[in-house]
Amino acid sequence: MHKKLVAYITSGLPDNSFTIDLALAMADAGVDSIELGIPFSDPVADGPIIERANLTALQQGVTFADVKAISRVIAPIIDTLWMGYFNSFYHQGMEKLLQEAQAMRLSGMIIPDLPYEEAVAYAHLFAQHHVANITFVAPTDSDARIATLVENAQKFIYLVAYAGITGSGQSEELEGVVASIRTHTATPVYVGFGVNAQTARDKARGVDGVIVGSAFVDILLRDALSQSAKIDAVAALAREIKEKINS
Amino acid sequence: MYIPKPSQFDADANGHFGIYGGRYVPETLMPTLLELEASYKKYRFDPEFWKEINYYHTEYVGRPSPLYYAANLSQELGAKIYLKREDLNHTGAHKVNNVIAQGLLAKKLGKKKVIAETGAGQHGVATATIAALMGLECEIFMGAKDVARQELNVFRMKLLGAKVHAVQSGSKTLKDAMNDAIRHWVTHARDTFYIVGTVAGPHPYPQMVRDFQAIIGWEARAQILEKEHRLPDHVIACIGGGSNAMGIFQHFLEDESVNCIGIEAGGLGIDTDKHGCSLKKGSAGVLHGQMSYLLQDDDGQILEAHSISAGLDYPGIGPEHAFHNDNGTISYDFITDDEAMEAFVWLSRAEGIIPAFESSHAIAYLKKMGNAIKNKLIIVNLSGRGDKDMMQAKTLLHFD
Repeated sequence: MHKKLVAYITSGLPDNSFTIDLALAMADAGVDSIELGIPFSDPVADGPIIERANLTALQQGVTFADVKAISRVIAPIIDTLWMGYFNSFYHQGMEKLLQEAQAMRLSGMIIPDLPYEEAVAYAHLFAQHHVANITFVAPTDSDARIATLVENAQKFIYLVAYAGITGSGQSEELEGVVASIRTHTATPVYVGFGVNAQTARDKARGVDGVIVGSAFVDILLRDALSQSAKIDAVAALAREIKEKINS
Repeated sequence: MYIPKPSQFDADANGHFGIYGGRYVPETLMPTLLELEASYKKYRFDPEFWKEINYYHTEYVGRPSPLYYAANLSQELGAKIYLKREDLNHTGAHKVNNVIAQGLLAKKLGKKKVIAETGAGQHGVATATIAALMGLECEIFMGAKDVARQELNVFRMKLLGAKVHAVQSGSKTLKDAMNDAIRHWVTHARDTFYIVGTVAGPHPYPQMVRDFQAIIGWEARAQILEKEHRLPDHVIACIGGGSNAMGIFQHFLEDESVNCIGIEAGGLGIDTDKHGCSLKKGSAGVLHGQMSYLLQDDDGQILEAHSISAGLDYPGIGPEHAFHNDNGTISYDFITDDEAMEAFVWLSRAEGIIPAFESSHAIAYLKKMGNAIKNKLIIVNLSGRGDKDMMQAKTLLHFD
């Protein structure tokens, strides 16, 4: 089966039109879904690369309004999800935000600091507006907890590759966790955290797709590259990863 | 012997105080928090556990802390002022009450490593202290800016055997130290216990730290009844995260005649953008694992707080305070940097007690009360001593 590639990029880095061009080039390069990052001042689940991208975007004045503007253009063309921290979403008002998300054909939201217990209060709103609230599973979870977490999982399950933050070189044995997820749901499992050109093939083993963030954002932060060179480098990396996970 | 009692203000099953509190953390940490909650529930009312804590409180910390009648302040103000002397505790502040209990809990969970965040360094020093006492490996996260302005406490932590990380990200203060402590915790959750320093963070920390600090109010209530044969009119405490306040208020909240007053850091004034008044000037939001009042902009980005006191220099507040603010159970006000500094000198000269900059905010409120203070019986929680602030005080005050 064809394995999927989900790509995280930080919105508005350095501006909206660049992010739109980048997302469309990534779609051409075989990226299946774009995870559009909402910059936040305190990204505690992220490592130094994505943290720096967040703070740089904020210094440049990127707001949620920019994320929406970008989404309106790209979501009809490539499957688009929002990734961010719950305070950004909450501050918009969840009901209003989900209405807007549905109208712009956003397919899901990835909110690492909104675990199952806190998400319950918003489950009906996500369902009503046909937007998936992506379920996280961590290697620290027991089989019993996994059963609860994945029961209503939609679109895909975000399996965190190791106990840690994004973009680190760690790895953990995930066979048991994947097996546990499979016994409780048929929802595809994508693995994220620490996936890059070197690790992609290994990390994709036994799962249905990978989520890549820091490896792309690292290119976006290279000041020496022109905007078109960044887009070319990101697209080339996307092609390479897509090929590796499917080889 | 102090053992917590269930309170009408306990959090619900998922750790919510009204809409506040909760557990807004990455899934990786959820099993750790659920394990901690189970352990906390098991030991919360366990006499054997509290006997162990009580041993350290009496033999190591020097509890009970005195409730001191401040005769000179009282005469000057025309009121009866008592000071709850948490400044006399080992390590110089109320922080030690909490870290002893969390250290013992860490051992019961079989964790050999502890981490903590610190602003002024008091919680870091207290954590490094009990880590030395209990044979735990200790790493402290402190904003690079705070490392520079609190170099004595950094040295103390190192002397006690702790490793201190100077956090370079963001505003390089307490908020960023917490971010990095959480990142470290997510990575090492299996063998590391996070000793949170205040009534904040994800459930069960806010309620657990309140239980561990409520020995202050439990003692103060018995002491005032013995000395004055009645309850106080006001109980006053400063608030950063809010643990010394929650600790002393806890045993007076259900008495309608007692008015509990929490004092936030007014910084350069609450009409400037340099203060720490999350309740007065903030709004509901999620940071560091909890929903509470936060200083944030129109897009939900967290703003930097300001206070002369590093311990109050934080853009959030414990979720139970957010609840009591909305519920009206506790009154909240603020004191500016200048008022706090004036009180720092005032208490030093009136009573021969040098308070921490944080506690100076609570002392300053006695003056802010104006004539309303006449003939009132008041307890102020003197949460810490000023030794740690001497370097900073020396640059701010000049006596010739």
